[in-house]
Amino acid sequence: MSDPAEQVEQDEVVQGMRSLRVLARLLDYPTPELQQASGELIEIIDAEPRLSAPLRGRLRDWCRRLAATALLDLQAEYVGLFDKGRSTSLLLFEHVHGESRERGQAMIDLLAEYRAAGFELDARELPDHLPLFLEYLSTRGEVDIGRWLGEIRHILALLAARLEERGAEHALVPLALLALIGAEADVEAHRLQVAEEAPDHTPQALDAVWEEEAVRFSADSDQDCAMQSAEGRRLAERKQTTSSEAVRIVTPPSAGVRS
Amino acid sequence: MSHFIDRLKYLTRKPPEFAGGHGETRDETRQWEDGYRQRWQHDKVVRSTHGVNCTGSCSWKIYVKNGLVTWETQQTDYPRTRPDLPNHEPRGCPRGASYSWYLYSANRLKYPLVRKALVKLWREALAEHGDPVDAWASIVEDPARSAEYKRARGMGGFVRADWDEIQTLIAASNVYTAKQYGPDRVVGFSPIPAMSMVSYASGARYLSLIGGVCLSFYDWYCDLPPASPQTWGEQTDVPESADWYNSGYIIAWGSNVPQTRTPDAHFFTEVRYKGTKTVAITPDYAEVSKLCDEWLSPQQGTDAALAMAMGHVILKEFHLDKPSAYFTDYVRRYTDMPMLVELEAREDGSYAPGKQLRASDFAANLGQANNPQWKTLAWDETSDRLVVPRGSIGFRWGEDGHWNLEPVDADGNDVSLSLSLIERHDSVARVAFPYFGGIEREHFKHVAGNDVLYHNLPSKRLTLASGREVLAVTVFDLMCANYGIDRGLVGESEDDGATTYDQVRPYTPAWQEAITGVPAAQVTRLAREFADNADKTRGRSMIIVGAGMNHWYHMDMNYRGLINMLVMCGCVGQSGGGWSHYVGQEKLRPQTGWTPLAFGLDWQRPPRHMNGTSFFYNHSSQWRYEKLEIKELLSPLARPEDFKGSLIDFNVRAERMGWLPSAPQLDTNPLRLAAAAEADGKSTADYVVEQLKSGKLRFAAEDPDDPQNFPHNLFIWRSNLLGSSGKGHEYMLKYLLGTKHGIQGKNLGDTGATLPEEVVWRDEAPEGKVDLLVTLDFRMSTTCLYSDIVLPTATWYEKDDLNTSDMHPFIHPLTAATDPAWESRSDWEIYKGIAKAFSRVCVGHLGEETDLVTLPLQHDSPGELSQPDVLDWKRGECEPIPGKTMPNLIEVKRNYPDTYERFTSVGPLLDSLGNGGKGINWDTQSEVELLGRLNYVKPDGAAKGRPRIDTAIDAAEMILTLAPETNGQVAVKAWGALSKITGRDHTHLARPKQEEKIRFRDIVAQPRKIISSPTWSGLEDEHVSYNACYTNVHELIPWRTLSGRQQLYQDHAWMRAFGESLLVYRPPINTKAATSLKAPSSNGNPEIALNFLTPHQKWGIHSTYSDNLLMQTLSRGGPIVWLSEDDARSIGIEDNDWIELYNANGAIAARAVVSQRVKTGMVMMYHAQERIVNVPGSEITGTRGGIHNSVTRVCPKPTHMIGGYAQLAYGFNYYGTVGSNRDEFVIVRKMHNIDWLDGEGNDTVQEAVK
Repeated sequence: MSDPAEQVEQDEVVQGMRSLRVLARLLDYPTPELQQASGELIEIIDAEPRLSAPLRGRLRDWCRRLAATALLDLQAEYVGLFDKGRSTSLLLFEHVHGESRERGQAMIDLLAEYRAAGFELDARELPDHLPLFLEYLSTRGEVDIGRWLGEIRHILALLAARLEERGAEHALVPLALLALIGAEADVEAHRLQVAEEAPDHTPQALDAVWEEEAVRFSADSDQDCAMQSAEGRRLAERKQTTSSEAVRIVTPPSAGVRS
Repeated sequence: MSHFIDRLKYLTRKPPEFAGGHGETRDETRQWEDGYRQRWQHDKVVRSTHGVNCTGSCSWKIYVKNGLVTWETQQTDYPRTRPDLPNHEPRGCPRGASYSWYLYSANRLKYPLVRKALVKLWREALAEHGDPVDAWASIVEDPARSAEYKRARGMGGFVRADWDEIQTLIAASNVYTAKQYGPDRVVGFSPIPAMSMVSYASGARYLSLIGGVCLSFYDWYCDLPPASPQTWGEQTDVPESADWYNSGYIIAWGSNVPQTRTPDAHFFTEVRYKGTKTVAITPDYAEVSKLCDEWLSPQQGTDAALAMAMGHVILKEFHLDKPSAYFTDYVRRYTDMPMLVELEAREDGSYAPGKQLRASDFAANLGQANNPQWKTLAWDETSDRLVVPRGSIGFRWGEDGHWNLEPVDADGNDVSLSLSLIERHDSVARVAFPYFGGIEREHFKHVAGNDVLYHNLPSKRLTLASGREVLAVTVFDLMCANYGIDRGLVGESEDDGATTYDQVRPYTPAWQEAITGVPAAQVTRLAREFADNADKTRGRSMIIVGAGMNHWYHMDMNYRGLINMLVMCGCVGQSGGGWSHYVGQEKLRPQTGWTPLAFGLDWQRPPRHMNGTSFFYNHSSQWRYEKLEIKELLSPLARPEDFKGSLIDFNVRAERMGWLPSAPQLDTNPLRLAAAAEADGKSTADYVVEQLKSGKLRFAAEDPDDPQNFPHNLFIWRSNLLGSSGKGHEYMLKYLLGTKHGIQGKNLGDTGATLPEEVVWRDEAPEGKVDLLVTLDFRMSTTCLYSDIVLPTATWYEKDDLNTSDMHPFIHPLTAATDPAWESRSDWEIYKGIAKAFSRVCVGHLGEETDLVTLPLQHDSPGELSQPDVLDWKRGECEPIPGKTMPNLIEVKRNYPDTYERFTSVGPLLDSLGNGGKGINWDTQSEVELLGRLNYVKPDGAAKGRPRIDTAIDAAEMILTLAPETNGQVAVKAWGALSKITGRDHTHLARPKQEEKIRFRDIVAQPRKIISSPTWSGLEDEHVSYNACYTNVHELIPWRTLSGRQQLYQDHAWMRAFGESLLVYRPPINTKAATSLKAPSSNGNPEIALNFLTPHQKWGIHSTYSDNLLMQTLSRGGPIVWLSEDDARSIGIEDNDWIELYNANGAIAARAVVSQRVKTGMVMMYHAQERIVNVPGSEITGTRGGIHNSVTRVCPKPTHMIGGYAQLAYGFNYYGTVGSNRDEFVIVRKMHNIDWLDGEGNDTVQEAVK
């Protein structure tokens, strides 16, 4: 972060990544401020060339609906979607660690990341709350953003699929995020899975989640049990440091579109 | 070559071996340890516990890093016990170890939530009216508007709200309700104060200050064993678990120790290494069965029959044939067995046992000027005369120094009370006893016989003051006869008793085998072993009893069955012996320090208390469906014409006679009575009496369907009232909430049944009686789903509080490891906020007001001597006299705008009236002064100069400072106060700890052992483990009962009428829930009726944790019902099938667990599985399959309504109706359509049974 060249680069893209902040706000609990800001949101979305025109169109429609719908209805919809149940939780680690003991440490690591970047958490929220995380990313350089979004792409894909299944426009946010790293296709795999997902915790599903995993000495499982072993952790670290396939934000189709 | 030079002398390449060649030193990278190190790093460790309804009360270490809770482990720093006694630590179980999950769970409540429909109405109304109270009125006074938000209950649609807005709404609703209907229409429910006493106190203090009502929980949960107050005059008092280790013989009777008492089970295991025998008595092959030397499997619900047979053996062998000197001495001194009972002549020349004779029955009151009606009598062997032994309840009130168990009479002469009159009887009386074991009850076995049994008893002929001659017998002789022992006074054919064990006569071992199925020989042997051990060890035989036994309608018979065995063997009050009922964590050890805080006794007295069962029975209209008739309960010796009416009628009579409390109280606003009386030129009490007598004023319970009498506001905190605690769940949904429900049966009006006499019947019962339901919780429980407002509370790792248990003698804290997450707040802060809003909002509506509180005749007060006879003023049998023949009528001045100032400060009544409990009172000025210095005083305002209670820690300090258990100085004062009454010095029990003062920071450092206090009957001592009734036996402090002894004969008129003056076996009642409903359409699968049992599980504590994935994974991950292989086969059910259980009350959908463990004839559904987890729709109700309470409905018992009569007098959570539910039957069948009711296309069809 202290690299002056990177600093310059970050300054350059701040405006562009306002779109990330828009996406963060769209996942927040609806407020009058959000409704009033809908015009501004639309402007910023329109100015985001990395999102496809149809996607921008859908986001625009959503913003218009936000402005036009009774706030209480929006809020009830939001509470129904996000304030109970785990499947659409906006807490990232809910999807990674569930209720395992790893979750506390993971949150602490993320907090440390924010601090290293010079930020303090100034809200009564957990560090892995997606809108919060997106706000943080909006301050980062493209390389970082790409890398982080790449890290959570499987969560985004799952979330998008589940929100779509529930017919919620909020699905557009993870879709847009995936679009930013050119990974829209990820959702497709999950769509099938989610459609087949038990609506609740069937015994089989419960068991499957907690099934003992055979020991694997690969980094592929670093999102789950393998992290508990030192070897798994080191492999994961190595993977992060020597990223085999770097995830990057897609290049805008034409630089001229940016305004 | 010698290699002298080549060899190294000082150095070696290879590190030397050690540990005899088993150890070697290596030098390799230790990087592998990093993972482990990082995993367990933390910034701090905080002590807390789990404030759940569990008696475990385990202290835990909560690890915090960067302000986030990362995990928890068990604390191990309990003070040591003593040599030859295992230590308590570590305590804890997998449930506790998985709690940190709740903090950041997706199911955590994060923000105050309010239903959209309500908040919309509220915002509009507030904009229109400006004044919050007027705004609320405009909503609830408009039927269309109120129906709009009430219908939405349970249907989702919550939005987040901000604290200020929501507190204002709640306060406005409370103010409106108090002003319009009366403060007694604002009701609150919270259970188990001991688990987090400040949190309980926060809501209770708020309610008490505004005149709202606290509902009791212990009786409602049916964890209160009425047998305990009946026998001992004590709610519940039991040995700590460490005392199991002092026992020589333990029976675990219906208690699944390893599963439900996990942290204590080690004492049970360890004592076996000392040679102690352990026996399990459970119908199913429960986990405890594996842990014991022997297992008995009686049919469920027949335990009293088993206990009676054991008692038969014990009485015969250890009291009659070859009396144990220890037993004889014990029962003579510590039980009412020597007390004399008058025999009442019956028409056929036989007699029925009547009342225990009193001094007042004889000439010149036998010299007793004070309370002669309440002094029981016995025959002295030494002087061969009638005596008035000290210790009966008449000595407790109105005189000092004679209330003790010294073996002397009232005048101080030594006496040796005669147990039996067999050596000195004047005549042999033929005495009638009721027999219920011959009642034919489907699904249960019976032994046919006449409904009246006759036994021949030795009796004394005595002349009463009236000149009338009566026959009197001792309780001991009555008991021998009642247990079915033929004493051989008359020819064998003329006594219904038995002379040998193999006669199938009540209540021999052979007789019980025909009922319970347990082999007679085994029962005889175990009874003998149990008694023999007690004889040799002076009472070290113990029974650990599971509350399941208490959940039967005739629970008193089950419990008194065991209690009698223990008492006969001298085990009660002895180390290693006694009755161990660990349920509902009733033991709030610093009780007398807590009651002023919780009930605002420092500002106003008395508070409004209400017994939960009667409240819910009445106000959720469960009485409208009552199918149990009084005649099914009466003794064949009673006159049915004297006991007319239905169960609700009996409850109404009990309320107006001052036996049970009432809430809402009268059918008018109690804030308006003082003014009305003044206008009439009368005192308020006189005015109310006159109005009641004329019928212009009635008790609210007489017309619960009148809107004036609805419980308009309901607060629920620390409880899943509508879920795990909602007996008659579906009735609550319909009548209290006015939302979707699954009731299948018809009410009394629809079936043309006899309607109640005392209660107004309305064909159309109102629905949605509650205007505002507010629930405080940290998770979205079933109750939250149905609430109008849900307030997010701090979890157990985010607040400061106190915790105690009956399982161990320590007090330890909950402390805030981190600040409450998101927008949650501690219960203390929430109610403080509501109190503040109330004080603001009430201005202009409520100022200084005079409230009239009706207070029932209280146990542990002179009121318990009110009614030697049952007289109903409403029927003209006596005059209505407040505090004597009806409830006390007490004026209470409230200052509503000062509510907040009073909430947050210690009031002046402690200075002027002192403090105390259980009939003892002491001056506590010095403690109030100390509190002022510890917490500082209010600098200004309405409570200027009073000690502050701003934070939860301040509140905890108030408890700790005022309670004898945590302040040695108070303990000495308390014992001193008791010494004055008993005439014996007890202060030596606390003097060594006089200077000990336990503060909050002390227990944060380490759990502390509490100080012995007269609030409890055991000692916290370095030499004995805590055991109940220890001070009764060893300090000669009387039990708080009629005779002052362990009361085995219940002589109240209703006890006799309902056949329970002595122990009997009664088969389970027929609730008719499984037989009275119209058969629903068949789904093609066969059905069977099975007994529905709800024991406690290993994977949750009630519904807490049963929505926790970790714990669910250890079980089956959703609602399950256990069936026996035979029953399952008979209706074609295989393991894991979806099945449905239903009856008139509702329906449940669950998966089947088919197991050999379960006895044929029953199903088991572990208590409180959550409605929010994995439940498909019911084929019967068409709505989501219910919870275990969906098939239940409470059925109160008249004997639990008795009041104003010594130990049978009301106390909050002490006595009253209880919510039993084990007699219920359900119809079980395999489901056909598995419909998730979510339209997501996951519905399936189960293959039909072939």
